[in-house]
Amino acid sequence: MIEVISLTKRFGNFTAVDSVSFRVEKGEVFGLLGPNGAGKTTTIRCLLTLIKPTSGQVRVSGIDALRDPQQVRQLCGYVPQEVSVDGDLTGYENLLLYARLYQVPRKLRKKRIQEALEFMGLADRANSLVKTYSGGMMRRLEIAQVLVNQPRVLFLDEPSIGLDPAAKRMIWDYIVRLRDDFDTTILLTTHDMLEADELCDRIAIMNLGKIAVTGSPQELKTHLGGDVVSITSKDSNCFGVLQRLGYRLLSPSHDGVCDLVVQNGEQEIPRILDELKQHGITTNSVSLKRATLDDVFLKYAGVRIEEGDTTWKHARLTRRTIRKLRQ
Amino acid sequence: MTAATRMISGILTITEFELRKVFHDSSQVFVRAIQPLLWLVVFGGVFGRLRVLPTGSYSYLQFLTPGVLAQSVIFIAVFYGITLVWERDFGLLNKLLSTPIPHSSIILGKTFAAGARSILQAVLIFLLALAIGIQLHIDVVSVLGVVLVIVLSGMCFSSLSIFLASMLKTRERMMGIGQAITMPLFFASSAIYPMDLMPTWLKVVAIANPLSYTVDALRALLVTGDYSHLPRDLAVLTLATTALICLATTSFKRIVD
Ligand SMILES: Nc1ncnc2c1ncn2[C@@H]1O[C@H](COP(=O)(O)OP(=O)(O)OP(=O)(O)O)[C@@H](O)[C@H]1O
Ligand SMILES: [Mg+2]
Repeated sequence: MIEVISLTKRFGNFTAVDSVSFRVEKGEVFGLLGPNGAGKTTTIRCLLTLIKPTSGQVRVSGIDALRDPQQVRQLCGYVPQEVSVDGDLTGYENLLLYARLYQVPRKLRKKRIQEALEFMGLADRANSLVKTYSGGMMRRLEIAQVLVNQPRVLFLDEPSIGLDPAAKRMIWDYIVRLRDDFDTTILLTTHDMLEADELCDRIAIMNLGKIAVTGSPQELKTHLGGDVVSITSKDSNCFGVLQRLGYRLLSPSHDGVCDLVVQNGEQEIPRILDELKQHGITTNSVSLKRATLDDVFLKYAGVRIEEGDTTWKHARLTRRTIRKLRQ
Repeated sequence: MTAATRMISGILTITEFELRKVFHDSSQVFVRAIQPLLWLVVFGGVFGRLRVLPTGSYSYLQFLTPGVLAQSVIFIAVFYGITLVWERDFGLLNKLLSTPIPHSSIILGKTFAAGARSILQAVLIFLLALAIGIQLHIDVVSVLGVVLVIVLSGMCFSSLSIFLASMLKTRERMMGIGQAITMPLFFASSAIYPMDLMPTWLKVVAIANPLSYTVDALRALLVTGDYSHLPRDLAVLTLATTALICLATTSFKRIVD
C-alpha cells in the first residue's frame, strides 16, 4: 500500500532522511520508531507530498506521489504531530470543513460526520467550540476529522503524545478498530516503546535519518535472543573483559552499566559473576529482565530511546503551552 | 470533478469557515471599532476645530472618515499573515496542505475572507460615523462602489501580509513588521491630510501606496461625489491586488519548508 524506495531529504547540508526504504502492506499498522530528530515527521511529509524529497521514490496505493500528488492526497488522511483542529470552530464545523475539502458528496456528509463523531465518542460535544476541549478530546477530534473522508491510508504522527495513560489507551483502541473494521492501512510514528509494541504489526527502528531494522515487535525481540542481564560495575574494564569472554553486549557501557544478552538468564548470572571475579572485577549490582523493544532499539541505534526523554517532555510541554495560548 | 470546480469549491469553503470563526466571536468586530472611533472623535475632533488642514468645502471629519475606513481595512488584512504563521506553528496549515484542494485556493480563500471581513468592519464604522453626525453621501452606486473598493483593498493588503509572512516565517517578526508597515502605510497616504500638503518625497511614496487609491475612491464615493478619478483608482487597486495575490500564492509554500 505504501512503498518507499531510497527516500532522501536534505535541508541544506543536513540530511534529515537518509536513503530510507520500506513497504507497508494493506490493512497493516506500521510504526516508525525513533527518538527526537530521527526524521519520522520528515518521512511522513514526503509521503504526503507536503515537501519534495531530494531523491528517491514514493508510491501510495500504486500511485507515484511525485507525479500525482493530488490523487495521493485524496486517498490519505493525516493527523500531524501538533494540534491541528481549529479552536475557533465547533467540533462539528471542524469535521464539516474537511468533508468539504475532501469533496465528500453533499448527501453523505451529514451521515459521515455523525458516524465519525460517534465513533470517536464526541457526539455530545459536537457543538462546543474546540478551544473548550481537553487535549485527549482534541486528539480524538483530529482522528474523527480524517475519518470523514474514509481514507485508505492514514498517517498518524505521534498519535498519543501528551496524553494521560487512559486517553492513550482509548486512542490505541480506536486505531486497532480502524484497522480491523475498515481495513485502513496505518502508518504511525512514536517514541513510545509500549505503544510500538502493543499497536504495531510491524515497526521500523529509525535513528539519525536511517532505518536500522524492520520487523514485527515479536520478531525483533526474539531476534535479540533471550534475556538481558544488566551488570553495574565501577571498574571501567568490565565491558572489555565481558567482550573478551565472548558475551553478546548491546552497546558500549553507559555510566558503568553493561547490558548483555544471554539464553537462560537465571542460570547464567552466577557463572558470569564468577568469571568477572576471576578477572579481578568487582560488581555493584545485577539485574535480569526479558528483552524489550528498548533493548532492540539499543542494539540497533546505539542509544536507549528513553534517554531522549527530556526533549520529549519538552515537546509535550510545548503542546500544552500552545493550547493555553489559544484559549 | 474538474480542476476549476475543485479550485472554486476550495476557495469558497476556506472563505466560509474563516467567516464562521468571526461569527463565533463577534465581539472582535466591536473591539476593532474602538480605535477608528477614537481617530474620528479625538483626532478628527481636535484637528477639525483647529482648521489647519485645507479640506475644501467639506468638514475635516468628512474628509477623515474614508481614511479611517481604509485604516481599519489594513489592520484586518495585516492580521491574516500573522494568523497564517500561527496556523503553521500548530499543525493546521500542514493539515490543510495535505487535503486535495489546490494550494492556491487556500490563499485565495483567505484573501476573500479578509475582504468580506473588512466589509463587516466597515459597516460598523460607517454606522458609528453617521451616529456622531458626520454627513456622508449615500446612494446605490456609492454603496456598491464602497463594497467593491473595500473588498479589493482587503484582498490587496491581506495578500501583501501573507507574502510577508512567507518571507519572514516567524510570529515575532510578523508582529514587528505588522506594526512597522501599517502606520507608515496609513501616514504615507492621503488618509488624514491632503496629498498637496506633503513634501515631494512623501508624495512619491503616497503615489506608490495602494492605500492612497483606496482612500481616494472612498472619498469620491462617500464625500465629494466627484467620480472622475474613480476608474484610475479601481484600475490601480485591481492591478496591485492581482500582483500581490500572484506573489502570495507562489511564495506561501515557503512558510512550511
Ligand atoms: N524545515 C526544516 N529545515 C531544516 N531542518 C529541518 C526541517 N524540518 C526538519 N528538520 C530537521 O530534520 C531532522 C528530523 O526532523 P523530524 O521532524 O523529521 O524528526 P522527528 O523524527 O519527527 O522528531 P520528533 O520526534 O521530535 O518529532 C531534525 O534534526 C530537524 O531539525
Ligand atoms: Mg516528528
